[in-house]
Amino acid sequence: MANFFPRWANWIPLKLLLMVMVLGAVVTGGIWYYFTPKYTNVGYMPDQPAPFSHAIHVEQLGMDCRYCHSYVEVAGHSNVPSTQTCMSCHSQIKAQSPKLAAVRASWETGTPVQWVRIHKAPDYVYFNHAVHVNRGVSCYSCHGQINAMPVVYQAQPLSMAWCLECHREPEKFLRPPSEIYNLNWRPASAQEQLAMGAQFKKEWNVNPPVTCGGCHR
Amino acid sequence: MKRVLPHPEREARPALWRSLEEYAGTPEFVDALEREFPQGAAEWHGGEISRRNFLQLMGGSMALAGISLTGCRRPEAYLVPFTQGVEWTIPGKFLYYATSQPRRNGAMPLIATTSDGRPTKLEGNPLHPISNGGTDTFAQASVLDLYDPNRSRTILAEGKKSDASALAAKLDEIRAAAEAGGGEGLAFLAERVDSPTRDRLLAQLRQKYPNILWAEYEPLGSSEYDAAVAACFGAGVEVVPDFSAADKVLAVDDDFLNASFSGLDQVRGFSARRRISEPGQPMNRLYVAETNYTPTGGMADHRLRIKPSEAGPVLRALGQQIATLTGDGTLAALSAAFPEGQLSADPQWISECAKDLASSPGKSIVVVGKRQPAAVQALGFAINNALGAAGKTLLGMRAEKPQAASVAELSAAMEAGRVKNLFILGGNPVYNAPADLRFGDLLAGVPVSVRLGMYEDETSAVAKWHVPQAHYLESWGDARSSDGTICAVQPMILPLWGGVNELEILNRLAGNPEPIGPQLVRETFAKVAGGGDLEAKWTEFLRQGFLAGTAWPAAVPAFNTGAATSLAAAYRPAPSNGIEVSFTPSSTIDDGRYANNGWLQETPDFATKVTWDNAALVSPATAKSLGLSTGDMVEMSANGRKIEAAALVAPGHADAAVSIALGYGRVNISHVTDSVGFDAYPLRTTQCMAFATGTAVKRTGAKHKFAETQHHQNMEGRDLVREATMQRYADEPTFAQTMGMDGHIPPNNSLFTHPKLDSPEQWGMTVDLSTCTGCNACVVACQAENNVPIVGKDQVSRGRNMAWIRMDRYFAGDENDPEMLSQAIMCQHCENAPCETVCPVNATVHSEDGLNLMAYNRCIGTRYCANNCPWKVRRFNFFDYNQRPLDKLYFGPLAKKGMAESVQMSKNPNVTVRMRGVMEKCTYCIQRIEEAKITHSVQAGPSDKSKVPFPAVKSACQQACPSESIVFGNINDPKSRVAQLKKEPRNYEMLKYLNVSPRTTYLARIKNPNMAMPGADKVGWANGHPHHGGHGAHGAGDNGHDAHGAETHGSPAAHAEEAPSH
Repeated sequence: MANFFPRWANWIPLKLLLMVMVLGAVVTGGIWYYFTPKYTNVGYMPDQPAPFSHAIHVEQLGMDCRYCHSYVEVAGHSNVPSTQTCMSCHSQIKAQSPKLAAVRASWETGTPVQWVRIHKAPDYVYFNHAVHVNRGVSCYSCHGQINAMPVVYQAQPLSMAWCLECHREPEKFLRPPSEIYNLNWRPASAQEQLAMGAQFKKEWNVNPPVTCGGCHR
Repeated sequence: MKRVLPHPEREARPALWRSLEEYAGTPEFVDALEREFPQGAAEWHGGEISRRNFLQLMGGSMALAGISLTGCRRPEAYLVPFTQGVEWTIPGKFLYYATSQPRRNGAMPLIATTSDGRPTKLEGNPLHPISNGGTDTFAQASVLDLYDPNRSRTILAEGKKSDASALAAKLDEIRAAAEAGGGEGLAFLAERVDSPTRDRLLAQLRQKYPNILWAEYEPLGSSEYDAAVAACFGAGVEVVPDFSAADKVLAVDDDFLNASFSGLDQVRGFSARRRISEPGQPMNRLYVAETNYTPTGGMADHRLRIKPSEAGPVLRALGQQIATLTGDGTLAALSAAFPEGQLSADPQWISECAKDLASSPGKSIVVVGKRQPAAVQALGFAINNALGAAGKTLLGMRAEKPQAASVAELSAAMEAGRVKNLFILGGNPVYNAPADLRFGDLLAGVPVSVRLGMYEDETSAVAKWHVPQAHYLESWGDARSSDGTICAVQPMILPLWGGVNELEILNRLAGNPEPIGPQLVRETFAKVAGGGDLEAKWTEFLRQGFLAGTAWPAAVPAFNTGAATSLAAAYRPAPSNGIEVSFTPSSTIDDGRYANNGWLQETPDFATKVTWDNAALVSPATAKSLGLSTGDMVEMSANGRKIEAAALVAPGHADAAVSIALGYGRVNISHVTDSVGFDAYPLRTTQCMAFATGTAVKRTGAKHKFAETQHHQNMEGRDLVREATMQRYADEPTFAQTMGMDGHIPPNNSLFTHPKLDSPEQWGMTVDLSTCTGCNACVVACQAENNVPIVGKDQVSRGRNMAWIRMDRYFAGDENDPEMLSQAIMCQHCENAPCETVCPVNATVHSEDGLNLMAYNRCIGTRYCANNCPWKVRRFNFFDYNQRPLDKLYFGPLAKKGMAESVQMSKNPNVTVRMRGVMEKCTYCIQRIEEAKITHSVQAGPSDKSKVPFPAVKSACQQACPSESIVFGNINDPKSRVAQLKKEPRNYEMLKYLNVSPRTTYLARIKNPNMAMPGADKVGWANGHPHHGGHGAHGAGDNGHDAHGAETHGSPAAHAEEAPSH
């Protein structure tokens, strides 16, 4: 009986298997690497109802973070300012600017401005702003150079592994209390940061939780 | 050498038992024991759809879902700030307001926790003079009533939708008619509330329209008691027992240890005298005579089972004895005048009790249930008078309360056609008025009837107008607490569905302009607050929640012998023949007013452990004589009226009597209330509201299934709950720590490695069994605090209930007359937690402050942890109970998902709402601990945290406990109360031989029996008598324990601590 299949056909199963394995590895690796908050969330920059620029308000005008985010030091949430806060200036300054139409409409009708949420921890995570900013963690550590952003985007992944980087080694990020809201401040060097951070950690008795219950309740 | 540590084997007849099946050791019970969940809990039992069917449907819907890949995009979420800042509001921070819940027995002072303008939790107001900061089940659950999606939302006129302007026009029309006729034909039927503003408006109405008829009705009211107090002490006097001054207490048919039916001050006063820390310390003694087991009966040192009609004869016999002992002629005459009735009780019980009470003049008290006839109450007061209780254990107050007619007088007026316009302000009289009044028929004949109610119910169906009532958390008002102190009722939120307050209706009828905000209350306040800066006083009133110094003035109650004797002599009790049916308040839904509250419906009754039902309770002996067993439907008929209910054999119930809770058996109201339980009101008549005598009870042949939780999560009887007498505690202070095999446990260590417990705060808890009555306040408080879902009757009967606190109830001794003990069991937060070692995904781990954590987002639902938990405190969310309608759990994706918007508002924002397939359990209120930790760090700021004091933190169950039995705190701090309690010799760990080191420990219950009483030798020995005296500690390697013989566990296996190595 003649051979139906040529000799090279013996390699087909092996080649197929190899191909599937390589493909599988690539897909798994790809998902592993790219389907993470670092790649899916960082850079998220939705359109906002009013094109608010942190760069103008903070960098040009020199406003403090806490003028608008007034409860950041006392509450878990860092509040988004009420329309009233916006209008306290914008009833005088740029009172007719078309860019502020949404804010004026809110003020007139009493319906809130629906700002699109950018920084979002999952529902089962209980993040608290007050405890961070009062104990030497700057806005910068999580929100990046938000003071210079004309349009706000997500600068950090906000994933659990990322949170734990600091919770395990807070000395890498702790700042002098005077520089918490100064987002342009940088330590002179990495060594200096470590030395200073370690000192704060010891003096203030900083021991951030690394057990589940610290954030998940 | 391998060490084998077997569990102590079960006894064939355990000393402590949870149900009659366990007592008898039926094969079904033994089978149930061996399962983690009851049979079927972990299995699929689709009612309507088969498994195959379901998979087909699932497959189809999955394919459909796949077509639109909506899940790939990040959903847009919004940040929605206020347009204008709101005073005091900080987003994400709780705001606390003082308010109070108006009740028939006085306002319950409360602190409402509001989150972004939504009240989510209620706590007691510790500043208030009668409150210790505790609450009860009803107050805890009332926040759910506010958000109940079944509440009525529209004004109805003749069954059709109407509006506020039509109602206003109608009210004005009625007012005009009243003005013309001096109020002739205008009548009101209201609930019993002591509200100064309501009283003021009522006085205005009476002045304007002198002929109005104002009636008040409470199905579980105290009209008999009030009549007796008025006769014995004169009009305008109130009397309250002061248990904190009483050494000896006799409660006859009075459940005074249930804060829902008495008051927080009574529970607090009693438990303060019950708490005993050092051996040899004095404590009070409690005698109870009652029909069915209540929390008060469970606490009793000596309990007498009586039929409800026997309260009079018991007191008469007692009165005669005490009259002889004290030489009180008044009491002798009064007892003699009181008609002699049948009494089956042991005369020795009564005579010894009388001797004991008489031996402590001025320090003893007799309390009689408020439902008992006035003459019986009068007899009780006469005994107290002879005991010298007046001004000592029985305090008097001079109270002013407006006169009100009874519902019977109103019905007579309606029958005579004298009522043209009737306002029914709250309540549900068509359902719960005495059956012989035929209130529904009479109401139908009233030309104009306006009904204010929270639900569209039986009364709304008959009344011409239905007006949605505002919840007390939605309205301005005021109410006096039982001591007379005026409490504020503040709205926490605008009426969700346009509810109207009864004050607004009365105000409009009085012809006053419509009030703005709290104006009505403020006008009253201006009159009672006295002079000075009114604005400052008002602010203080709202801030504190009450107006200090407005309690009723004290007055020594002067006993009016003549009036009391004539009351007793005129008493003609119904002949006590046949079986008596006792109408009891429902421990969970009161008189039926909380019937639509799922939290309460699912809370097991203290004694029967039945959820979503009431039952006709009968004693084992009576059940035998009637041929009944649990679940048999019975028909009870008396005087041509009859009801049907399912029987439940209740250990400790009086013989020849049936108890049935009121408030159940509704039809066509809502899916929560319908076909739940049996309506007992049709048997209840004005002749006697407490019980019906001469009842014929017969089996109908039908069967009913109860959803009882008493077998769920059974830990088997291994001396989990421990008690002793005062004497034993004095002789052998460490009895609790050496009971059973606990005295023989060799030093042990754990095979597993554990995280370091190195935090300065180490959390722990103690539960004092001496004062815990099992009242369930903690259970409901936990449910409210921790977003615990309800699962419905069907799921409870499959053992899938979710409550994080299980209130275990044990009986000890003979099935007919056992002792009852309660024990709250929640996660014990073991240091060597067995659940943690079996979790394959590290979802349950330990924290450095000693908490056994549960990371829901990690849990994959293997349920290994629940299998390995010795306490059986872990709960598994089999269905998406939070998100799915409970009657459509088996419809899978075909049923609509998502909870009602109003119910979403009731959730605690600081606790995850758990989903399906996730294990959950008590967290020691980790959200409160974390909040305290954060506050601590924030207060420290950039400085050393260890130098700043740690803020106070209380768990929700601790905060709710009216008897202060649950104490939670930092066991590392030697000054903390919990650390001190843990040092007491009464402190013991459950299942100590397992070496799991639970952080929750229990303080053994101490009883104070009177050794002269019959059966006193059995009191305080729930764990059985040890066969030999004390024994020393046994070290490791201490072999041959056989010599110890059977102790309370009575099993040789218990002593096989070491077996030969292999």
